[in-house]
Amino acid sequence: MSNRYVNEPMLDLFIFESMQLIEQMELLIISNEKSSSYASDAINEIFRIMHTIKGSSAMMLYNNISTLAHSIEDLFFVLREDKPQNVDYSELSDLVLEGLDFIKVEIVKIRNGDEADGDASELIKSLRVFHATIKGKDLCAKDQHVAEGAVSHEDYTPEKQQYYISKVRTDTTSLKNTFQATLRFEPDCGMENLRAFGIINELGDLAEEYYHIPEDLDHEDSARIISEQGFTLLLKTERSLEEIHRGLLQTSALKDLQLNQVENCDLFNDLLKERKISLEDSSARVPASCGRDRLANEHEDNEIHVTANQPSIINVSVAKLDQLMDLVGEMVIAEAMVTQNPDLKGLELNNFEKAARQLRKIASELQDTVMSVRMVPLAGTFQKMNRTLRDMCKKLNKEVRLQLIGQETEVDKNIIEHISDPLMHLIRNSIDHGIEMPEEREARGKTRLGTITLEAKNAGGDVLIIIRDDGEGFNKDRILAKAREKGLIRVPEDEITDKEIYNLVFLPGFSTNEAVTEFSGRGVGMDVVVKNIEAVGGTIATDSVSGKGTTITLKIPLTLAIIDGMNIKVGDARYTIPTTAIKESFRPKMTEVIVDPDDNEMMMVRGQCFPILRLHDIYHIQTDVTHFTDGIIIMVEQDNKTLCIFADELIGQQQVVVKALPTYIRDTKKVRGLAGCTLLGDGSISLILDVAGLIGFRQ
Amino acid sequence: MKKLLIVDDAAFMRLTIRTMLQKYEIEVIGEAVNGAIGVEMYKQLHPDVVTMDITMPEMSGIEALKAIKAFDPQAKVIMVSAMGQEGMVKEAIISGAKTFIVKPFKEEFFYQTICKVIGI
Amino acid sequence: MADIVEQDTQDQIEDTQKGKFLTFCMGSEFYGIEIKYVTEIIGLQPITEIPEMPIYIKGIINLRGKIIPVMDVRLRFKKPFREYNDRTCIVVIDIREVSIGLIVDSVSEVISIPDEEIVAPPNMAKEGNKYIKGIGKVGSDVKLLLDSDKLLNETDLENMSDL
Repeated sequence: MSNRYVNEPMLDLFIFESMQLIEQMELLIISNEKSSSYASDAINEIFRIMHTIKGSSAMMLYNNISTLAHSIEDLFFVLREDKPQNVDYSELSDLVLEGLDFIKVEIVKIRNGDEADGDASELIKSLRVFHATIKGKDLCAKDQHVAEGAVSHEDYTPEKQQYYISKVRTDTTSLKNTFQATLRFEPDCGMENLRAFGIINELGDLAEEYYHIPEDLDHEDSARIISEQGFTLLLKTERSLEEIHRGLLQTSALKDLQLNQVENCDLFNDLLKERKISLEDSSARVPASCGRDRLANEHEDNEIHVTANQPSIINVSVAKLDQLMDLVGEMVIAEAMVTQNPDLKGLELNNFEKAARQLRKIASELQDTVMSVRMVPLAGTFQKMNRTLRDMCKKLNKEVRLQLIGQETEVDKNIIEHISDPLMHLIRNSIDHGIEMPEEREARGKTRLGTITLEAKNAGGDVLIIIRDDGEGFNKDRILAKAREKGLIRVPEDEITDKEIYNLVFLPGFSTNEAVTEFSGRGVGMDVVVKNIEAVGGTIATDSVSGKGTTITLKIPLTLAIIDGMNIKVGDARYTIPTTAIKESFRPKMTEVIVDPDDNEMMMVRGQCFPILRLHDIYHIQTDVTHFTDGIIIMVEQDNKTLCIFADELIGQQQVVVKALPTYIRDTKKVRGLAGCTLLGDGSISLILDVAGLIGFRQ
Repeated sequence: MKKLLIVDDAAFMRLTIRTMLQKYEIEVIGEAVNGAIGVEMYKQLHPDVVTMDITMPEMSGIEALKAIKAFDPQAKVIMVSAMGQEGMVKEAIISGAKTFIVKPFKEEFFYQTICKVIGI
Repeated sequence: MADIVEQDTQDQIEDTQKGKFLTFCMGSEFYGIEIKYVTEIIGLQPITEIPEMPIYIKGIINLRGKIIPVMDVRLRFKKPFREYNDRTCIVVIDIREVSIGLIVDSVSEVISIPDEEIVAPPNMAKEGNKYIKGIGKVGSDVKLLLDSDKLLNETDLENMSDL
């Protein structure tokens, strides 16, 4: 933690961008591994992604990630440059995906505030070995050294480490000045040889002749030598000491400069002679091609594509969005408190009413806009499923393709996080237990390749996510038997529909598999899925056709935060019913009310019979309105079940901010039929009704 | 206040550089996400100095450097490189980059480098 | 670094509140609750009932936009219920992020009771004693010091089965 220059936004962005890049890369790998080779665009992109992550993680001092990324980058450099044949792309994909997994794990650690202490050395070794194999015949001894992970530090002794000074003084024939400069660079500034090169490059107008040590700035050890021993420059020039001094001081990363005028220019001539000899002698010429990033290659990707419509996107922290959402919620309440203030009751305020309507309109728009800001397309989550599918198929030797429909459908950001795991589990389940082995499929006349369809679409105030497979479907009898065994059946068996049987699998503690497979686990898995879905206010249901396949439908509300509600009164208590659930409301006539032998009250509406629920009854509320004709019936519907709620009267419709009941209350008991609460315009509290829960009262 | 243009395809690097320079008398007047946009922004904004990432999509740092130098031979460009890019850094120097900096780098060093380049 | 400093300050604040109790009265007895848990004291407010709750949970109130449950301490201690009047107060306490308002007959004062003056509670069979952490002596008076934690967290099994 000590030397790390980091602040929150940088860390967040590092995590965000890196994860984004990793997901992109994962997709590329999965889609490319099936073919006999990776597309060159993909190789380029993967190279660039690893390069970027290498740089960013190095900046953040996460060296384990940086080194791993570097190894993968090296690998893809070879693929890009050498275009080797006979590469085992399957093994490559596995290796690289393993690398991505490592980085993902480290980033999660970082996100949680833990140390990124993972050790990728085994993986890096494997990558280096793979690197060596694909380099194949071109493997020079040096590369092999690199492949084995040893750092090569061949001792490069330049031809001359010292000058020798000629003992014989000869007269200088020219008026030129001779200077000797020794430059030392800041430690760890990197590529000292190129810094030296940069100086030489600019010497042009400063010096007529020059000589430097080390001589060969392209040699791979030159950087190290300069770092240890400094860079020595000998130059002949018309310029003065001051001018040379000033010029050399311009050098970046310069730690130390020693500049002296040298009288003896014999030195120079001698050294020139030495140089000529060594040039003729050149044995230690290291082939330039061993150097990385050959210049030529950058020219390939030369086309300038300036994308015209680059969307303007800005990253916003989720915390800020939550804050914004809370404020908007409070504003909705405040607006109600102003416009529905008891002080105003009975007053005739036309101008006020107009202004209030305008305020309500703007508040409503603001609310819609803020909610839309928080909406995120499901695409990201859906794409993640590709990896799950790929891994499952590989491990189980099944052949399944994933079809994605409606990825652009958006849900609230909060919800996205809760959907990922359940979806993964459901897909794993489908592949593990639903889709048959390829041979079996063929034997049944099905296509060898199974299909899992992941579809998202809007339906009123909800988003439907449908997972459909064309596998063997649920085994009705096995489910029934297991449910019977676990005592999970509440209704006489001859009255259960097939669909109800299939939905038994969602009950806690249920599973028809004796063997706990690595992936699907016991009933623990499915009821965790259900919990996660319910946590975001959603529902889950399933249907299946034996031999044909299974469909699982998740219904998730678009947002939980602000809903349109109808406020009702029961005695002194106030309740709010989400308007999306209300079909109609009316004052009942006694002729429409039926009482069955068990004293259950029911309502006849247009020839159909629906159960009546007396709110004052189930919640033990004191009210004078107990006779049907004195009160009102609100007909609500959820999941194709209808209920008639009996209350005193309707108060009015308004947008309400859903607040959860206090933790203490929720921990004490989960009250059936209550979804939360809200504050009304006059400051009083209204309890928000959960229609599905109320329907449960009369089942 | 001296003006600086950042050209880098990684949002993280752009943020890092911007953050590092916050307390100095250097104003980040623009951020380009690739070389081509970097060249355009240079032409419009006339920064005093440019930090240029070497590896970018659309147009590499070297290409962008050349284009900028062609437009303004006095342009001061600092290349941002990673280890292992010696060849490209060399070409950048030949093409007129003032100097370069290698990732990972520290804030102080980065600032000193910019100072030397723009002469403050 | 900043976190450590903050924590120190927090600890310091808590230290200065140590040994200080808010006393309130219920019938003829005086009770005390550690001031560090008390966030505010308010007068009685309209209470919205929640169905199916134990009898001592009267419901919820709206405290400046925040919704807080309220508990009648008398009923919690299985004492006879007393009608609320204008002296009735709600003492809002906050323990580990859980807020709750305690409805008490009336609130008395904040006093310091040094550790030496606190003795362990006698082991009586009377109901409500499991919530007493100790007995504090103040002059000739005795204050029953409440264990706020237990007050909030003990699930009263008897009450639950009534529902």
